[in-house]
Amino acid sequence: MKDIDCTGKTSRVINQEIRHHIQAGETDIRVQHPQARHNLGVAVLQQVSLTMSGSVGYYCGGLIDGPRIEVQGSCGWGLAESMLNGTVIVNQNAGNSAAASIRGGTVVVRGSASSRAGIAMKGGTMIVQGNSGYMTGFMMQKGTIIVCGDTAEALGDSMYEGRIFVGGRIADLGNDAVIEEVTDQDQEFLATTLAQYDIAAPASFQKIVSGRRLWQFDKKDFDTWREAL
Amino acid sequence: MCGIVGFLDKSGNRQAAVGQTLLDMLSALDRRGPDSSGVAVYADRGVDACVLRIKLGEHGPFETLADVVVERVKSLVSVSTVDLQGPSLRLVVTPPESPESLERAIEAVDSSIEVVSLGSRLDLVKQVGSPANLEATYAVSSYVGTHGIGHTRMSTESRVDLSHSQPFWAHGRADVAVVHNGHITNYHKMRRIYEQQGHRFYTGNDSEIIGLYLADHMAQGASFADALQTSLTDFDGAFSYLAASADSLGYVKDPFAFKPLVVTDTPAYVAIATEEQALRSALGDDFPVWEPGVNTVMTWTVEDGVGS
Repeated sequence: MKDIDCTGKTSRVINQEIRHHIQAGETDIRVQHPQARHNLGVAVLQQVSLTMSGSVGYYCGGLIDGPRIEVQGSCGWGLAESMLNGTVIVNQNAGNSAAASIRGGTVVVRGSASSRAGIAMKGGTMIVQGNSGYMTGFMMQKGTIIVCGDTAEALGDSMYEGRIFVGGRIADLGNDAVIEEVTDQDQEFLATTLAQYDIAAPASFQKIVSGRRLWQFDKKDFDTWREAL
Repeated sequence: MCGIVGFLDKSGNRQAAVGQTLLDMLSALDRRGPDSSGVAVYADRGVDACVLRIKLGEHGPFETLADVVVERVKSLVSVSTVDLQGPSLRLVVTPPESPESLERAIEAVDSSIEVVSLGSRLDLVKQVGSPANLEATYAVSSYVGTHGIGHTRMSTESRVDLSHSQPFWAHGRADVAVVHNGHITNYHKMRRIYEQQGHRFYTGNDSEIIGLYLADHMAQGASFADALQTSLTDFDGAFSYLAASADSLGYVKDPFAFKPLVVTDTPAYVAIATEEQALRSALGDDFPVWEPGVNTVMTWTVEDGVGS
């Protein structure tokens, strides 16, 4: 394992060191004392393991394709934003817009996620072990969100496609988000996926999908549109 | 984009290194806005002491004007300490019967004068430039007390000078101060109403109205916490702000969750900042942080240190 000490270094220098170690063939890299710096571990395209020994700031693991990143602390806004593939695990709480626009891979938040988690997801899976904030799954287009705890207001607001599973209480549903029955196939998927990350599954889940009423404009739905916009 | 920070000691230490902690937090955030910076620190100074901070103008020299102002203040209350720090005249006085009339009397001396703060526990310094410059002028790191708030500003709409810097004291209400990150979009509408009621505005900065709002509601009998709570529905826009009174610290998080804020609430202290970096670089790695939920208010008081 290679260690990088962040003390006195900018994010740019730290990211260059990560890249340098990967090019030298290193597959296991530990970033020490990150102290919530922004943009750590962005755009890593190799299947390596990165460990952040502490909290990270905004956009950690953004634009990655392949690595496994573990954050041994909390994270700021835009965790794993636009990730193509890989795994990003945060051991504590996540800030606003975790897993924003991801196209694939898995994001796991072991604590709670803040507002707009899973915003505009285009694939992949986001798992929140704790609770999830306001507008979770806002405008999501594809992929799966699993929240084991409770969700705040406007869940799944204006989602186009994709599915959201909630184990706890739902404060309220967003525009055009509807509850659908959980299938046996869903149950199996939930059990397998959560077991993969050693997360105990809640007793039951509710499933939320798009009502598809916002797909085409219809004058009859004007109130829904006004609300959504 | 601004940086706001707050800290409250819960251990019962009345001499906590509040100035140093706020400065460390602000220094970690100064890239969010290097236009101006400031802190408000609260300390127990005994019953008969009240700190008065007066801005004499934007450009010196200030010595002659300072003498005139001190004479004016002496004619109204008794003055025990006089300190001229750059454009900021710091006086320790006996508490006035009416903070508002003392303020008016001082500001009548010259149009360049603004009473920047007044309070039995509050001391407030701010200026154009980075937190490092603030430290160079005011030695903020030496300020001790119970709690405080700080700000580093990137101006988006109004002028960059001392008056437009933050924290803003709630003019007319001893000890209440505010730091704000965001926009109050119904500012002009609310300002017009307050102006019709005779309130004076010192700046074109929308953040100034928060202090005025809190002062107004507390004057009508609302508690500090209640005033913060009602502000959530009365203000429009995307905002996170921190407010402090003689014994309390609180945050208000907007109904859209557009402006960042993180909190840690430990048995020893509560610390709040725009970004986690501020908390980590000032206070270390050994505590969890969380983002306040949308549309929420939380306050802590120095006496019990329990959040509600």
